[in-house]
Amino acid sequence: MRNLTDNKTAVALFAGVTLVGALSACSSPSTGTDSGTADVNAPDAGADYTDGTYTESGDYTSPNGAEKVDVTLTLESNTVTDVTVVGYGENPNSIQFQGEFIDGIADEVVGKNIDELSVDKVAGSSLTSGGFNKAVDAIKADALAE
Amino acid sequence: MPSPSKQFDAIGAPWQIDTAEPLGSDVEAAVAHRIELFDRTYSRFRDDSLVTAIARTPGTYTFPADAPPLFDLYRRLYDATNGALSPLVGRALEELGYDRTYSLQPAASRTRVPDWSEAISWNGSALTALTPAVLDVGAAGKGYLVDLVAEVLAEHGVTTSTVDASGDILHRGAGELRVALEHPLDTSKAIGVVKVSNEAICASAPNRRAWAGLHHILDARTGLPTDRIIATWAIARTALEADGLATALFFAEPAELEAEFDFQWVRMHATGRVEHSAHLTGEVFL
Repeated sequence: MRNLTDNKTAVALFAGVTLVGALSACSSPSTGTDSGTADVNAPDAGADYTDGTYTESGDYTSPNGAEKVDVTLTLESNTVTDVTVVGYGENPNSIQFQGEFIDGIADEVVGKNIDELSVDKVAGSSLTSGGFNKAVDAIKADALAE
Repeated sequence: MPSPSKQFDAIGAPWQIDTAEPLGSDVEAAVAHRIELFDRTYSRFRDDSLVTAIARTPGTYTFPADAPPLFDLYRRLYDATNGALSPLVGRALEELGYDRTYSLQPAASRTRVPDWSEAISWNGSALTALTPAVLDVGAAGKGYLVDLVAEVLAEHGVTTSTVDASGDILHRGAGELRVALEHPLDTSKAIGVVKVSNEAICASAPNRRAWAGLHHILDARTGLPTDRIIATWAIARTALEADGLATALFFAEPAELEAEFDFQWVRMHATGRVEHSAHLTGEVFL
């Protein structure tokens, strides 16, 4: 669980370390509900994405001002097999926040198709989601263009 | 999905109103006016609000006609959560850094969140503050404003609409909405899909407003952010109820809330476990 003094991910980011794949245990809630999702079948997802690794930057606005994250996805057979998120927050709050976000995200998104659902609305949001979503959208556009 | 859409920012969040026909400029003006009235009463972030006046000077203050449903719901949720969900967490939020300048710098000292009965009394139209109480209606206020905006639309003859205030969504009229439940740790992913028709779905997740390892959903009994639950969703007749219940699901066992309210729910624990109400119009990807 997170606590008020947990800043190890902030330190990792500061050192320029890129976090990939499975991450530390204590501050990273894992869903435990999607084990085995790596074989979620993709073919009927609608769009065909070109296999490869894509990197995009996304901007978002936090209470500290403009912030930036880089998102790198690896696609294989329309399935995300790896994801890396690097934040560039300069404000200490942003660094820690992005650290937590990255900590949680990296072992969650692997194995899920990008286009899986047809919905009218999405319920939920986060301060940094704008940046991440923009980056994912751009990745989808890149992948479809190739 | 109905179209066209009207998008704007209000009370610190992006909004979208979907209707069958474009909104007339008179309707748009009426919506903006309604939001301004609400903000001027309930925002602790502005100098000229009623809530700010109460925080400065104890006393008895008459509230606008929209207040009873909000305070009544707060009282029911306060009781149902044994005091964990309280409108009196404003001071604690300020001290944690969630203040009008978004300083996001936690203060060294923390003041205990007062009990309802020692801080305020509500007589159905006026609130008496016994101390300089900092009210915060963030647990249900945005949902309530969604209801009020939909009422303005209905008064102007717009009876089929979807009002989405980023996390608080109300559907009114014909048809239904398919709504994805956004994964709290990965917004490109959903943990389920539900259908709503003439009802509201409200989502609550701490990461929407998080800073320095802290967030804005406080347990009034400790004055500290909750950490056991990381996301909740509630479906109810009104967005007021759905928003308040989504917050209450962070503090109370769902069965306790179900004894008091008619609603559907989904929530995710920090361990990753997802649970939902026995009746759910939709699917959770378990």
